[in-house]
Order: sequence, then structure tokens, then C-alpha cells
Amino acid sequence: MRLWLNDVAARLEAERDFLTQLDAAIGDADHGVNMHRGFTAVVAKVGAAGEISAGQLLKLAGRTFVSTVGGAAGPLYGTAFLQAGEALGDHERFGPKLLGEALRASLEGVQRVGAASPGDKTMVDALTPALAAYELELRMGGSLETAVSGAREAAAEGMRATIPLQARKGRASYLGPRSVGHQDPGATSSALMFAALEQAVLADRSQRFASGARRQVSGP
Amino acid sequence: MIQSVGRAARILKALGSESARLGVTELAERLGLAKATVYGLLRTLEAHQLVEQDTETGKYRLGPALLQLGNAFLDNNELRARSLLWAETLAGRAREAVHVGVLYGPNVLLVHHVFRPDNSLQILQVGASIPWHACALGKATVAYLDPDARAELLAGPLPRLTGRTLTTRELLEAELEAVVASGVAVEDQEAIVGEAGIAAALFDNRGAVVGAIGLAGPVERLLPDGPASETVAAVKEAARGLSRELGAGRPAVPRAGA
Repeated sequence: MRLWLNDVAARLEAERDFLTQLDAAIGDADHGVNMHRGFTAVVAKVGAAGEISAGQLLKLAGRTFVSTVGGAAGPLYGTAFLQAGEALGDHERFGPKLLGEALRASLEGVQRVGAASPGDKTMVDALTPALAAYELELRMGGSLETAVSGAREAAAEGMRATIPLQARKGRASYLGPRSVGHQDPGATSSALMFAALEQAVLADRSQRFASGARRQVSGP
Repeated sequence: MIQSVGRAARILKALGSESARLGVTELAERLGLAKATVYGLLRTLEAHQLVEQDTETGKYRLGPALLQLGNAFLDNNELRARSLLWAETLAGRAREAVHVGVLYGPNVLLVHHVFRPDNSLQILQVGASIPWHACALGKATVAYLDPDARAELLAGPLPRLTGRTLTTRELLEAELEAVVASGVAVEDQEAIVGEAGIAAALFDNRGAVVGAIGLAGPVERLLPDGPASETVAAVKEAARGLSRELGAGRPAVPRAGA
């Protein structure tokens, strides 16, 4: 979980100007700055937190986000992390099924606060296909790795699919037809998080594999 | 009414509401007119640069003359012109962005926007179109419309923009009553998550509501525990002062709808 949060923070720092640019076209030009500021605070809080469960880490991330990030991103991502953290609870380790429940809870929270549906040109347009791909992979017998991979790909596709849409929510919706032709910043930052999730899962697996191999070599 | 001018106006509006270009056939179907008629109108509009044709697809879109006319609308709009100083003063006093809007159908059209005076990067919202029921400017305006106009808007589509948008007639009627009682309209994350608004109606010398002026900003600053009384006072003062000017010197008498 910490791996993931740190990776998201790093990606948001790298993509800050890009996100700001996207938001300048159809929003109020602060998404990149907001997300970067929020995740910098999250990384600091998480770094200072002792040994707490992944669920508690996420809830801490959610609370931090709500209190440091303004605009729509604060309440929306804050709710997403809080709901995901609730779903994970105090479990020290969690399997793909529980992670799926956390993802679903976060999408439901986002839709409750923002009232967006797929096609409105929002972060929901990345979250919904990502969740669907994740759940489909598991249902077809896939592993955690293939599920987060599928989610990453679906989120990226969903993000690109926002380009021709006309915004029906948020400040972009005030632009009407002018919002067409621009990629949604919220969908972009969401897709970024799924890319980080895939990396974190793969990195975690190779870490565990490496430590397992060392144990084998050095004997029981 | 002159039929051809009316048809030309409908063509312009159709092109203005679409993100895709429209071809002659599509326009003819949409407007219920013969293709030859539409084609003739388009050629005339094109000669005046009110529409232009995409050379690759052959479809039509709005032309550059409209941008000029749009700017002229803003420049000549009396409400906007008179609001410049009041809006600037209000923004300086409240340290928040100021919006001035007029009702256009079921939406509020922003005719003026003063940035929040904090040197942050902001995007100009002039020209934005916001559903009346989801913003303070709209609620402030509609609260003082004549009963028929108000009823029509309350009966119209009330789309949900956020989890907090008021979407039923009953809730909005109660809200409009509260506007008349308090003299200001408040919007709490009903249009954009994280954003709030406080607005007051503007009246001309006949007592008719002509628009609204208000603050727009982050909900945690604008509505820390409901609107702060100094903030409400500042908005009302700006509205009163601007209304007096619109009345060409005579004091405005707000007339609440029955």
C-alpha cells in the first residue's frame, strides 16, 4: 500500500504540469497543482504513521486529501480513499477479492458525492471500466496481477475515451461543446493511479519472490 | 415574423448547440425543411461569415463573424458595463471571485467575471452557461421572476449536477422562498463539488429582476458555517448599488413574485 501511495505521488509530481494543462483547457487550471499538493501531504503523513494496516493507511490518505486539497478533487478522491480504506478494514494482508471490494466502494463513494455517470467526461469514465475489467479478470480465474493489469489498461482507454465527450459535470460542463476534444484531467489522474497500482502489485510480488528465493538459498 | 430570417436563426442555433459539424441533410432533417432551402440559407450565411464550411467533410459550423458579434454583445451589454466597478469592489472586499449573470432560458449566462484577487491562475468564465437551479445567481434571479415564468422554470428539467443539487420542485420552491426572505441566494456544492456561491438579485427601475451578482469560491471559505454575515452584507450592498445605477438614478424597489 505504501509502495502504491509513494508511486502515485511520484507520478503526480512528474505529471503535474500536464494535468494543469488539461485542466486549463476545460477547468480552472489547478488539477495538477492540487493533486501534487495533496499527495505530497499524503506521503508525509503516511511516512510518519507507524505500523498501521493498509485500510488505515488509505483512510489516513483520504482524510489528508480532504483537508489539503480544494476544488472537486479533494472531496472526490478523499471519499474514494476513505471508502476503500473502510472496505479493507484492519486486514494486514488482502487478496484480490477484497481489493476489488475496496475499488467498488471507492467508485460508489465518488458517484455519491459527484453524481457522475459514465459518459459525463469525469474520473468516473476511467474508474468504471477499470473496475469492470478488474472484476471480469477475477471472474475468469485471473490473478491479482492480471486483474490490476486489466484495470490499468481499461482506465487508460477510458481516459482517452473522454476526449470526444462533451462534459456534463463540473466546470467543464459550462463550456458545452467547447469541452469536446480535450482529455478529462480527473480521468487522467485516475488512470495514473491504476498504472501505479499495477506497478506496486508487481513490485510487491517481485520483492516477496526475491526474499523467498533468498530464504531458499540460505536454507530453512 | 420574416420566415427566412427565422429559419436562418434556427440554423445558427442548431450549429451552436452541436459539437460535431452538421451537413445540409442533417440540418434539413433537424429543422424540418427542404434541403434546397437549407442549402440556400447556408450559402447566404456563409457569404456573411456567420457560418463556414469544412473543406474536408463538407459540413458546416459557425463562422468567425459570430465571435465578433458575441464580443459586441458583451461590450454593449448594459448590465455588464455598469457592473464592472461594483464587481471589482466586491471582489476586493470579499477576496473571492465575482460573477454577474443573466437568465437565458433555463440557464444563467455569465456576462462578467472578476478573478479572485490572489494572483492565482484562474480561467475566465465569461460565456459560461449554468443551469439556474444549481447556482446562486440563478436562484437569486428566479426567486423574483413573475409567477408564470417561475412556474415554467420549476416545471422544466432540473438535472442533477452533483450529489447536492436540488432537483425537485418542492425543494426549489422552498429554496426560492428562503431567497426572498433573506435577500440572498446560497449555493452549497450544487453545481461543482467543492464550490459554493452567494448571490443577490439585480433590479431595474421598474422593479423587474434583470440578473444577479454574487461571489463564487471554495465552499470551505465561502460557507465556513453557512455564509458569514459580512460576506452576505457585501454581496447585498453591491447588488443594491448596481441596481440603483440600472434604475438610472431612481431607487430600485424589489418586487417579490407572489
